[in-house]
Amino acid sequence: MTTRARVALLFVAGLLAPLGCRGAVAPPPGVLSISVEKQSAWVRNFNPVAPGEGARFPTRAGVYEPLLVFNTLTDAYVPWLATGYSWSSDHMTLRFDLRAARWSDGARFTAADVVYTFGMLRDHRALDQRNVWDFIQDVRALGERAVELRFRRVYVPGLADVAQQMIVPAHVWRAVADPVTFANPNPVGTGPFTEVRAFRNQVYELGKNPFYWQPGKPKVEALRFLAYPGNEQANLALVEGDVDWAGDFVPSVERTFVRRDPAHNHYWFPLVGSMAFLYANTARAPFDDVRVRKAISMGIDRPKIVDVAMYGYTRPADGTGLTDAYAAWRDPTLAAQGWVKLDVVGANRLLDEGGYARDRDGVRRTHDGRPFRFDVEVVNGWSDWVRAGHVIAHDLRALGFDVRLRTYEFGAWYTRLGRGEFDLSIAWSVEGPNPYGFYRWLMSSRTVRPVGEMAGGNWHRLGDAAVDDLLARFEVTDNPVQQHALMTQIEARFVELAPAIPLFPNPAWGVFSTRRFEGFPSAENPYASLSPHREPERLIVLTTLAPKVVAP
Amino acid sequence: MSYALRRFGFYLVSAWASITLNFAIPRLMPGDPTAALVARFKGQMSPEALRALRHAFGLVPGSTFTQYFTYLAHVARGDLGLSIAYFPAPVTDVIGTGFGWTLGLGGVALVISFTLGTLLGVVAAWKRNGRLDQWLPPALSFLGAFPYFWLAMLVLYLFGFTLHWFPLQHARDPDLEGVSALSSALDVARHAVLPATAVVLATLGGWMLSMRGAMLAVLGTDALKLATAKGLTPRRIMWAYAARNALLPSLTSFGMALGFVVGGSLLTEIVFSYPGLGYLLVQAVRNQDTPLMQGLFLMITLSVLAANFLVDLVSIWLDPRTRA
Repeated sequence: MTTRARVALLFVAGLLAPLGCRGAVAPPPGVLSISVEKQSAWVRNFNPVAPGEGARFPTRAGVYEPLLVFNTLTDAYVPWLATGYSWSSDHMTLRFDLRAARWSDGARFTAADVVYTFGMLRDHRALDQRNVWDFIQDVRALGERAVELRFRRVYVPGLADVAQQMIVPAHVWRAVADPVTFANPNPVGTGPFTEVRAFRNQVYELGKNPFYWQPGKPKVEALRFLAYPGNEQANLALVEGDVDWAGDFVPSVERTFVRRDPAHNHYWFPLVGSMAFLYANTARAPFDDVRVRKAISMGIDRPKIVDVAMYGYTRPADGTGLTDAYAAWRDPTLAAQGWVKLDVVGANRLLDEGGYARDRDGVRRTHDGRPFRFDVEVVNGWSDWVRAGHVIAHDLRALGFDVRLRTYEFGAWYTRLGRGEFDLSIAWSVEGPNPYGFYRWLMSSRTVRPVGEMAGGNWHRLGDAAVDDLLARFEVTDNPVQQHALMTQIEARFVELAPAIPLFPNPAWGVFSTRRFEGFPSAENPYASLSPHREPERLIVLTTLAPKVVAP
Repeated sequence: MSYALRRFGFYLVSAWASITLNFAIPRLMPGDPTAALVARFKGQMSPEALRALRHAFGLVPGSTFTQYFTYLAHVARGDLGLSIAYFPAPVTDVIGTGFGWTLGLGGVALVISFTLGTLLGVVAAWKRNGRLDQWLPPALSFLGAFPYFWLAMLVLYLFGFTLHWFPLQHARDPDLEGVSALSSALDVARHAVLPATAVVLATLGGWMLSMRGAMLAVLGTDALKLATAKGLTPRRIMWAYAARNALLPSLTSFGMALGFVVGGSLLTEIVFSYPGLGYLLVQAVRNQDTPLMQGLFLMITLSVLAANFLVDLVSIWLDPRTRA
C-alpha cells in the first residue's frame, strides 16, 4: 500500500470514529415502550372517531374512553366512564349512570358529552362505525350524571355497540368544523394517557392525564412508541430490550425471546383472537351442498395446520367454531362433534353418497359431470395462512378434488371475498362480547348480500330461517339462562349446517419484559387479555401496569 | 442555449404525459380501497364500518373526464388529496415524513458510490492489469450480485447486532432533543452509516465497471495518442482528456439513478427501520391508497425528469459538441 493510500485510509477512519459506538437505547425510567402499529414514520392524528386506522395507538381506549369495558377473560363488563347501566323493563330504554370524571384540560365530564358524542355520530354517518343509529331513537341527559338511550326496537346486543363507543368532550369538539377529517393534534380526553409529550418523525410519547379519575393511576409515567415498519424490526427491538410490551407475532418465541432472559421475558398467547375459517361460497354449486362442506372439513388435518402453519401456538377448532373468548358459551357435546376431525373414510363416504363419484382419473365429478375443480384463495404474504392453504390443498387433493392454491394481493383478495367471487377462501370471522355477532355473520339471512355486492361478513352467503328466529329471540332477552339456551340451539344449527369450515382460533399475541415494569396479565395472572391490540380491553392493562420497584 | 430550451420543452411534454399516466394507472388496478382498510382489522372492526368508510372517502363514481380535470387543477395547486391508508392525513404530510430522509440517505449514498466508483474505474483503467484492476472489479461484482436486503441484513447483523458499533434502527436517537446542531448532525450521520454502507456496497461495482469500460475505449482513441505526442503530463491526460470524455455515459446513468433515489430504497429502509418513501409506496399499494400512490409516482417521475434535465445541462458544459 502506498503512503498516500495509507493516509487516505487513516483519514476515513478518523471521520468515522466519532460516529461509532451506540449510546443507551433503553427508554428513560418510568417510560413504557410499546410496539403495536407498524409504520416507518408517524403521522400526527389523535382522532378517536374517524374511520380507518389513521389515529395513533392508543387514541381509542387510551386517550379516550368508553362507558364500559368488556373483559374477555372474566366475560363481564367493567364499569368505566359509566358506573353502571340498567334496562327499562320493556328493554326499550338503556340508562347509564356516569362517573364524576374530568377531561385532561380540567373540565368536568358530564352527560352533555355523551349526548354530544352520539349526536355527532348521527350527524356524520361516516363516524358511526358500529351503526348504532340503526337501533337507537334518541339520547338524552338525565341531569349531569346520567344518560338515557331510547331504542327503536328491542335490541339487547346493542349494549355492546353503545357501551364501547369512545366519548369525546363537547366543549372541544363543538368547535371542530369537520370531525371526519379532523386530525386532533392535541387531544383532550378522559383516558389515562392524554398529554403528547413529544411527537417526532419516528417516536412519540404520551404522558399521564393530570386529572385522571382513578386515584393514583396511571402508575406509568409515559408511553413511548418507536416506529418499526414490520414485525421483524419490532422483534429485533424487543430482543435488544428497546421494547417492553408488544402485540406482535414472534416466531419460535421460546427460543428467540424467552431464552435470552428467562427471568424477565414472557409471552402469553391466549386463544381469544378471531377464528380462522375456510369459507366455501354457498352461492356456487356444489358448495351449497352441506355434505360437500362437511366432507371438506373432515378431509383437513387440523393438527398438522396448527403445527406447520402456526408454530403450535393454537389448537384445532372444535365443532362449534367458538374461540376461547366464548368458552362460557360453548356446549361441550356440540364442541365434540366429529365434523371438524380428520376422517378421510367418512369424508369419502359423504361425497360418494352425495353423488360426487370419482372418475377414472381419480378426480370426482360434480352433478353436471364436470371435474370437481376449485381454487383455495389466500392473501399473498400472510405466510401463516399461506402455509395453512398448502396443507388444505394437499389434503383435499387426497379426497379426489382438483384443488389449486391461489394467492392474491390483499385488496384484490378482499374484493373477491366481499363480492362472493371465490370458491374457497381463508379468512377471519367477526368478534364481539358474545357469540351473537359471530353467528349472525355466519348464518343470518339478514347478513346475506347478493353476489357482486361488497359484504363485510357472511362472505360465503348462507342464511338460515331457523337461525334468524333464534337470533331474533336472543336480541330481546338479557336473561343469561335464556341467552345460553338460545345460543346452544344456534350452535347446534351451526354444527348441522356447516356454514363455514372452522380451522383454528387465532391467538391474541402479547409479549412483555418485566425488567422495568410489572403487572402484565399472564397465564398465571389472567386478569385481562395481554394483547395491546384488544380494544377497549387494553385500558384495564394500561391502568394496572407499574414501574418495577427496584430494591435499594 | 437553444439546445437547452429544446430540452426543456421536451421535459415539459414528458411531465404532462407522466401526470396523465399517473392519473390513469391506479384506476386500472383491481380492488377496493375501503375493503383493504377493513381487512387490516382482521375482524376487530364491525362489518357495518365498511359503509361508514365509503361515506368518509367520498367514493362516489363521477365521470372520468371530470375527475381528470379536477386532478390536474389539484396537482397544479400542490394539493394531492387525502391519503386513505393514513386517513385523514393529507398526502403531502404523509410524503413529508419520508421525503427528506430518502433524499438524504439515497442521495448521499449515490454520490459516494458514484464518485468512489468512478474514481476507482479511472485508476483501474489507467493502470490496466495492475493490482487494483485485477482484484477490485471481481470482488465488487461479487458483492453487487448479492440481493440488496441480504447485504443490508449482513451489515446490520455484523456491525449493529454483534459488534454494536452503530445503531441498529431508526434515523435518529429517540431521546436526543434540544442538543446542538453538531451533535444532532453527528447522530443522524451515525444512524445513516449502516444503511448507506449497504447501498454503497451493492452499487459500487456497477459504477466502477462502467467507468472502467468507458475509459478503456477512450484510451484507445487517436485523440489520446495526440495528447501524449504533444508531451502533456500523464496526469493531465488521465483526468482532462480520458476521464472527462469517458464520464459522459456514466453521467447519464447517474442522472437516472438520481431521479430514482426519490423512489426510496425499500428494503434498506425496512431492514434498518429507516423512514422513507419506499415503505410508503408499498403501504400505498397494499392499501389501494390511490391518492398516496399518485402522489408518490408524481414525485418520482418529476424527480427523474428534473435530474435528467440537470444532467443535460452538465453535459452541455462537459461536451462541446452539444453546444453546436
